[in-house]
Amino acid sequence: MTKAKVKVAAAWFALMLAGFILINVLVVVGVVDTFIENMLVTIGINIILATGLNIIIGFSGQFSLGHAGFMAIGAYATAIITSSLPTVLGFYVSMLVGIVISVIVAIIIGIPTLRLRGDYLAIATMGAAEIIRVVINNLKITNGAAGMYNIPPLAGWPTVYVMVCLTTIMLCNFAHSRSGRAVQAIREDEIAAEAVGIAPTKWKLAAFVLGASTAAIAGSLHAVYIQTITPTDFGIMNSVSLLIIVVLGGVGSMTGTFIAAIVLGVLDTVLQSFGTLRMVIYALALILIMVFKPSGLLGRYEWSFARFFTKKEASHE
Amino acid sequence: MSDLLTVSHVTKRFGGLDAVSDVSLHVAKGEIVALIGPNGAGKTTLFNMLTGVIQPTSGEITFAGTAVPGKKPATVAKLGIARTFQNIRLFAQLSVRDNLQAAMTHRYVEHFVPIVLRLPSFYRQEQVATEWTDQLLTAFDLTDVADMDAGNLPYGTQRRVEIARAVATAPEMIFLDEPAAGMNPEETAALRTLIQRLQSEFHLTVGLIEHDMTLVMSLAERIYVLDHGKLIGSGTPAEIQQDSAVVAAYLGGGVHA
Repeated sequence: MTKAKVKVAAAWFALMLAGFILINVLVVVGVVDTFIENMLVTIGINIILATGLNIIIGFSGQFSLGHAGFMAIGAYATAIITSSLPTVLGFYVSMLVGIVISVIVAIIIGIPTLRLRGDYLAIATMGAAEIIRVVINNLKITNGAAGMYNIPPLAGWPTVYVMVCLTTIMLCNFAHSRSGRAVQAIREDEIAAEAVGIAPTKWKLAAFVLGASTAAIAGSLHAVYIQTITPTDFGIMNSVSLLIIVVLGGVGSMTGTFIAAIVLGVLDTVLQSFGTLRMVIYALALILIMVFKPSGLLGRYEWSFARFFTKKEASHE
Repeated sequence: MSDLLTVSHVTKRFGGLDAVSDVSLHVAKGEIVALIGPNGAGKTTLFNMLTGVIQPTSGEITFAGTAVPGKKPATVAKLGIARTFQNIRLFAQLSVRDNLQAAMTHRYVEHFVPIVLRLPSFYRQEQVATEWTDQLLTAFDLTDVADMDAGNLPYGTQRRVEIARAVATAPEMIFLDEPAAGMNPEETAALRTLIQRLQSEFHLTVGLIEHDMTLVMSLAERIYVLDHGKLIGSGTPAEIQQDSAVVAAYLGGGVHA
């Protein structure tokens, strides 16, 4: 690792630490009450979900509408396991179990459906997520339509914050490696990608599985934070609202996903006092952004400390 | 020299049409071999069979002792066959550098854990790949545009990027499908030097489909002529120019050169 890379890594770490301390201070001072904390955690969980979905949609170019299904797997894995093992260890074990099941399900769903393109794939993944939901709805172990409640509160906002950082680091590291480029090459031109030795199905599946596993992590966090889950929490509308975050932020931009998740999360909370008018304003905001910025808030722009440092050095000379 | 590529009695039938019928040819290591013929003669169909994009109806294709039919294009690429396309197919929204690096996916295999955790092995491999990319960028005179999106480059440069990307897969043989199409004389002249360098510097065997006869005649060591899916002639450029069947195919029957 060169000096510049250490500097960039240190800058990112400092930023994450600063964010953590800032929230901590705000909690202690009392600016962040339970209501705001709830909002922050929801934003954090949405960031984990949407960055994972962005790997699938933005980087590999596969239009998936089934993200909530994988979240459901993680949430139920945690709910079931922590009911008999209500410890922090139990929570992490359940998270791992959720990831493993998600990966297996993603492979089973991915192999046949990732051969489809565009809207066909969207419908197929949507159907797959519905199957997951219906299965959960009818199993005894998941308590059917009534859902699971009294899930032990094993994770507060600090856990969510750390998990947001970890998943984002992993996803960005993947995106900015040659593997990430292979996945993007398939999005750009599948035939050319094949001609240079990139096996499309394998790499599409890799992106899909990666996205699915982070969704499972988000599901686990959701379960222990909200403490009550029902199958309806993971319906098609949840997949759609995640899609909105990705498209709004800019397909293919992780920075954009972050900003969109925060903007929409805050907007959602602020608008709650407007009652029914909330959805109208929310929808209007979306339409306006899409009209004036069709490529999303940030397009394909990505914030980079590396570029920031080189610019600063250049201006010094 | 032994044959790198052997094609024997290959036929491709689309419904009732024989796009390629009973074609046999061979290419020795290090040769530049051109495939010419009028539009619709089946040249690209033959190329597509050689690169695994479509499967022959019958016949055999062997590359360096391995059978090509039945393999997927990505597997064929790993065997050491690279290609460019008649209508340029770049990864338009990726930078030139990333275009080249994407082509190294199978050469420098990364593993998931080192990537996401950025272990030292990731950086070691990244450095090797970056060095090889820089060498290619210099060799193909692309250093100045390395960080630009490939889709925004002028046509001639895009061609060069596409060829560089094919070379980045570290192939033994490279197929160029009408590389001079749409180029002006200066660009064609530069392309000629480039193709010669593929042979001399990169020690590649070159398969060329081209309509620009001056380019073909000055580059190719041997030429195969395809018409209506059949091989109607083969030989050195001088022999081909004298071949009455070839001349007839190009200029119409009964015309004498």
